[in-house]
Amino acid sequence: MSTAQRIIRFTLNGEAIAASVAPHENVVELLQRLGLHGARESCGQGLCGCCTVRVDGLAVSGCLYFAVQLDATCVDTIEQPFGEDGLDEVQQAFAQCGAFQCGFCTPGFVLMSRELLAANPEPSEDEIRHYLSGNLCRCAAYPEIIRAVQLAARMRRARS
Amino acid sequence: MTSERTPGPQVGRSPPRREARAKLSGRAPYVHDLVLPGMLHGKLARSTRPHARIRRIDTAAARAIEGVHAVLTGDDIRQLIPQPYHGPAFHDQPILALDKVRYAGEPLALVLASDPHVAQTAARLIEAEYEELPAVYDEVEAMRSSAIVHDVLKPAGTFPDLKHLAGKRDTNVALDFHLRRGNAARAFEHAEHVFEHTFKTQQVLHLPLEPFVSVADPGERQLTLHTASQSPSFVRIEIARLLGWPENRVRVQVPFLGGGFGAKVYVKLEALVAAAALIVRRPVKVALTMEEQFYTLTKHAATLRIKSAVDAEGRISARECEVWWNGGAYADIGPRITQKSGFTAPGPYDIEHVSIDSYALYTNLPPAGALRGFGIPQLVWAYESHADMIARALSIDPLAFRRKNLLREGRAQATGTLMRDAALDTVLERLAQRMRWDEPFERGSGSVRRGRGIGIGFKASISPTTSVAIVSVSADGSCHLLCSTVDMGQGSDTAMAQIAAEVLGIAAEDITVVHPDTDVTPFDMATLGSRSTYHMGNAVKRAAEDARDRLFALAAELGLAPETTPIPEIFRRKYGMQAGNVVGQGSFVPSYIPTDHASGQSSDVTPFWMVGATGVEIEVDTETGQVKVTRLVNLADAGRTVNPAIVDTQLSGAAIMQLGFTLFEQIEFRSGQVANASLADYKIPGMHDLPPLIENEAVTAHEHGGPFGAKGVGESGTFAVSPAIANAIEDAVGVRVTALPITAEAVYRALRASRGEPLAQ
Amino acid sequence: MTPFELIEPRTLDEALRLLDPADPGVRPAGGCTALMLMMKAGMLVPTRLVSLRRIEPRYRDIVASDDAITIGANASLASIEHSARVRDELPALARTLRTLANVRVRNVATLGGNLAHADPHMDLPPLLAALDASVQVQGRGSSRYASIEQLISGYYETTLAGDELIVAVRIPKRAARGCAYRKVTTRSADDWPALGIAVALEREGERVRAARVVLGAAVDRPTRLLAAEAALQGTRLDETSARRAADAAADEARPSEDARGSAAYKRELIRVHVRRTLLEAWCDEPVGAVRQ
Repeated sequence: MSTAQRIIRFTLNGEAIAASVAPHENVVELLQRLGLHGARESCGQGLCGCCTVRVDGLAVSGCLYFAVQLDATCVDTIEQPFGEDGLDEVQQAFAQCGAFQCGFCTPGFVLMSRELLAANPEPSEDEIRHYLSGNLCRCAAYPEIIRAVQLAARMRRARS
Repeated sequence: MTSERTPGPQVGRSPPRREARAKLSGRAPYVHDLVLPGMLHGKLARSTRPHARIRRIDTAAARAIEGVHAVLTGDDIRQLIPQPYHGPAFHDQPILALDKVRYAGEPLALVLASDPHVAQTAARLIEAEYEELPAVYDEVEAMRSSAIVHDVLKPAGTFPDLKHLAGKRDTNVALDFHLRRGNAARAFEHAEHVFEHTFKTQQVLHLPLEPFVSVADPGERQLTLHTASQSPSFVRIEIARLLGWPENRVRVQVPFLGGGFGAKVYVKLEALVAAAALIVRRPVKVALTMEEQFYTLTKHAATLRIKSAVDAEGRISARECEVWWNGGAYADIGPRITQKSGFTAPGPYDIEHVSIDSYALYTNLPPAGALRGFGIPQLVWAYESHADMIARALSIDPLAFRRKNLLREGRAQATGTLMRDAALDTVLERLAQRMRWDEPFERGSGSVRRGRGIGIGFKASISPTTSVAIVSVSADGSCHLLCSTVDMGQGSDTAMAQIAAEVLGIAAEDITVVHPDTDVTPFDMATLGSRSTYHMGNAVKRAAEDARDRLFALAAELGLAPETTPIPEIFRRKYGMQAGNVVGQGSFVPSYIPTDHASGQSSDVTPFWMVGATGVEIEVDTETGQVKVTRLVNLADAGRTVNPAIVDTQLSGAAIMQLGFTLFEQIEFRSGQVANASLADYKIPGMHDLPPLIENEAVTAHEHGGPFGAKGVGESGTFAVSPAIANAIEDAVGVRVTALPITAEAVYRALRASRGEPLAQ
Repeated sequence: MTPFELIEPRTLDEALRLLDPADPGVRPAGGCTALMLMMKAGMLVPTRLVSLRRIEPRYRDIVASDDAITIGANASLASIEHSARVRDELPALARTLRTLANVRVRNVATLGGNLAHADPHMDLPPLLAALDASVQVQGRGSSRYASIEQLISGYYETTLAGDELIVAVRIPKRAARGCAYRKVTTRSADDWPALGIAVALEREGERVRAARVVLGAAVDRPTRLLAAEAALQGTRLDETSARRAADAAADEARPSEDARGSAAYKRELIRVHVRRTLLEAWCDEPVGAVRQ
């Protein structure tokens, strides 16, 4: 093996993908090269959550994850479409509650909230705060985000 | 006008933000995402010294790296732009350092490469030889220091009242604002009580999660800038000036911004990418890292001395304020902050004798600029802390003290301008009601003590500034709204559409808002200072009225009933098919009378007043000094709210941001070097820092000059958070903190000192 | 970042063979989170990263025996946090993990990587030291056990040789042990700790049979506060004895000054939080623990 580019194969939002990546390339850089810009590097330290993507169902910071390590994984990003409307309950609830301002951190909050509700369909306010405490919103739409996650939980329960 | 629908009132409802779907699916465009064919990435090498002459910049090692396209220094820029200095108040900031560096972190050289990793690696290899100069960091010392940051002052000429500073030497004072009303000196001589306190605030960072980013495309005839800017029109003018070009050869486009907060105003990276792109004849992108934001623009640290004469009844008869603003190495908009905030430095109180001296200082720190409040939060920190300290000393309830002294409608404020549509009293009374101020308060026990505090502040808006808008109605009745207001998260697209829709009698959702593109959207001074709702809102309203009037006239000309004919029918009758446009135009410039240079007096300093008040309930851990805000109540006068849900979010967002500035945010400097330039070491509020209870209220109010009675609110939530917390701490544990941030250690030290057992340094 | 090679061996043996103690550019990699941070900052310029991600799955296992819980070094912090065994038998460990970094980092970062990084602000080293954990270190053909204090020798420094890897952490079970960790932040809630205090108390009736008090974050490496431990020996734990031990801790600790607080202030925080952590540990009741 060398420092040369390597071909990796993975599933991206349900589609099989092959990509040539350099060892130093991180997940955000690869996704942007593939035309997906929803995960963005902001702090570069895994602290703000703007670069959140899900790898094999687990949320990770794309800025702290080597792209080559996506080989043979399933990757979900914010661009993944849902249902007829294209938006899932979390996204619908964020829209209804106005749970964003500038929108730069929003994809990360949506993906983390989705992961939270998958594991815990009825989170308390404390549990929401705890789970989302690793995502930062400089516009501080936090109160609206908490309300949106609560609404999304109700919408999910009503559906199932 | 009618269309097929009758949507009902548009102003005063809260439709979801129009960009919700785009932002929630990761598809909203930001400059951060932009990739152009053949684009080079630029990475900056920065000064390691706070103040030094540059002897030599060694770029050889960087140039030797494979994949480096070019390395540019200030001398290369000067080949293209002979006078490469920019700035809104002073033309003092070089695009890349020339001759000397004035702060550690100042851009020194730019490396261009197709691969940003290559550019970054090469930029780290650039070294400079320096001849160090004495440096000055403290704003008060800068008044008298022999370390002079700029050899000569160079006012930009944009603001006529700075012209007298042109060519001034041997000073760090970029602007001095003075206000004299009545005779403060004499009033102090006869005063019953005199109180004097000094307060400090720290440098903090805007820290938008989208760091500064600009892309320049050199084009053939026209240079295009894609930039995360709050001021596209200003950027066009300033870049055209630097290049000696007409405005129409520079095009500035702004998609969504990932936060601004006053950082992305005027020229930041735009001149750099423009020059680089023109030199290498390829598109150039410079995207700063989070770390680099700390070297770009901060919020002014300030020292504020405030002295009051109070009579036996607790009325303030005279007030003297001296404020020193730490502007850093380049003036940016600091002189304007110094002056505009100076107008209201004595606070929202009816005081007969006032004396204000406010100084913008150069120091060898990163430049400071506007940050959500334009100097007002620093002033409110001082005057509302001072208010409680006086009230306590005189055994007057803090609310009663404020009621007694509050500026009432129709009274003259310190500048001599009369108060009009400033709901100071309503805001204060609603705050008192929400805080249940007259009811007993649970004080805590053991090591947890509880307290509550309030504060109220106000602000004169930015004037005189210009906004222009265009409303274009298509043949099917659908509309475009063209304006250069930048939606950076504050929801202006939605609010502007509501205002236009209200006039046109259609639903806000049916209007397309065209994002700033200086080839297309008309001039707007900038999106800052909570000015858009009022200034651009008025321009949009006029543009929509103009479009409506033209449609009516067209209908009348065609013999149709203007009020009842559907819009498509008017176009069909005029053009024989679905064709044509009706274009309405509106512009707005509020009135303004400059203040007198010696007395600071003017009968018209602002088109409207902003009012913000905050109440908090807190817990103090007396063993550690840790403060926990358990309830945060934000009140504001936003006139009539255009979109109540967005106003609510603006209020709590601003207040939570200010909570960080109050309790822990601080840029740490060691010998002029930033010591915590990362999100790991500079902390901002997260979910766990959120008070459990947050309440927001825009009081019922009406602004006579505002569109449908509305006015700006983006900053109001920041005004009074800091003093409300300091006041609550004294209420809880009897100690007073006079410097921000109010860290747990600061409170603990104050507690120890109050027990006569001061903690060693 | 400068180019380098990233190798993902399938076995531990292969990984060990790929390491090169003579070449500081060759580094083992767990979850890569801390490593990427150091590379971005230019503090680490590797020529080869040996990822342990794809080595035998058993190095991720969490195994309980009669006398210990053994956690594979490749276990992600999230898998430890969510392990029913850990929650039942080492609730303090599960609680600590809950506030360590954030969900995304815990999903990726490994126990071995966390310990080998030796960042003084980490939460796990002081806690594991209080729990008397031993770290199994594998070299080429050799294996050794080290305590946390033996493993972490200084500020970002360990005693690991260039061709050694952490393969597991063994946490001995103790009857009637109460444990607590307190992360003390002085700025935002999600800040790095100004200090981390870990306490493990072994009870004998109403008295303390053995105590471990370990300070992290405020010092270069996890440091046992021996005077405080001695002060607790044989005492009945109450407000008074906890206060006495906390005073001893404050006297003996040598905290350093940084942006999170002055040394003098941190000493006072140690005084307060050692006391509070002791009282909390005394009430800690792992599921199934028999109180003697």
